[in-house]
Amino acid sequence: MSVSAIDTLRQPRPSKDRPALTSLFLKERGREAMTPEEIATLENSVDEVRSIPARTIVIRRDERVRNSSLLLEGVMCRYMDDRQGNRQIVAFHVPGDFVDLHGFAMRYLDHDVATLTPTRVALVGHDRLEQIVEQQPRLTRLLWFSTLLDAAMHREWVFRLGRLEADGRVAHLFCELHARLAMVDLVRDGMFRFPVTQIDIAEAAGVTPVHLNRVLRSLRERGLMTFRGGEVHIQDIAALTALADFDPAYLYGGGPTLEGSGS
Amino acid sequence: MTPPVAGPPVHSEAGLATAEHGIVMLDGPNGVAVSMTPSAALATGEGLVAAARLAERQRRKG
Repeated sequence: MSVSAIDTLRQPRPSKDRPALTSLFLKERGREAMTPEEIATLENSVDEVRSIPARTIVIRRDERVRNSSLLLEGVMCRYMDDRQGNRQIVAFHVPGDFVDLHGFAMRYLDHDVATLTPTRVALVGHDRLEQIVEQQPRLTRLLWFSTLLDAAMHREWVFRLGRLEADGRVAHLFCELHARLAMVDLVRDGMFRFPVTQIDIAEAAGVTPVHLNRVLRSLRERGLMTFRGGEVHIQDIAALTALADFDPAYLYGGGPTLEGSGS
Repeated sequence: MTPPVAGPPVHSEAGLATAEHGIVMLDGPNGVAVSMTPSAALATGEGLVAAARLAERQRRKG
């Protein structure tokens, strides 16, 4: 399905009656330090909200981008194809992520961005981001921090693929998702929705679907976690964390310091 | 801080090979996670054995 077929829902300008669109952005990672004015600026920067079906390419590599997408609901991914068309997922995105904020500075992306599930995204025009950069240094630092978080996660994904074996890679991926979704309050008693396929997980972990299936069975039989029908249940986070060599420090829980370089 | 080392370590533990649904999977050591057809796995295994024998001779020569 082409992007032009995406259902576009024009939003009225923000008002007291409309729930906040950006409430998950940097939740537990700096949002708490945002002033009411900064939150209002971010809310007012949303041009429109789009509902996008699952499995839709939203941005193609080398395509000029003129807005950035704040993910409100659903799961998105960034991916790259090799010359045979085999996909490597290089990032998963969950609600609260500013998926392609780096497109503001880079203008073109070096990878594709797609939805994996039905999603809702808030689109922020780059002209509005330009105004924020010119007028709001603290908010600009938070947006910058958001893109640096992506970079930190990419480094961890390189570590995962380069140093961990199949079970460690998969365990690490689910530890990360558990931590990220917990920050946006989408985990209940170790359980969360992540309605993607085993093939998607395999493409992110750099293993074949058969290999992934064997690892998931092993993790289930060891009582560490289950992944069934898009539902993840982390049963032993301590053991899963140990198997994954997982340290959530790179997710920067708590957020950045906004009080100036001297503090 | 971990002291710098010259490249990834040489591993002394073996990888674990398993078969499922007609596919051979090799896990480890250190970041290895590959799936192969039986013929590719056989060729890889023969290549590994030959290379291992050569490496042992090189070690004996010092």
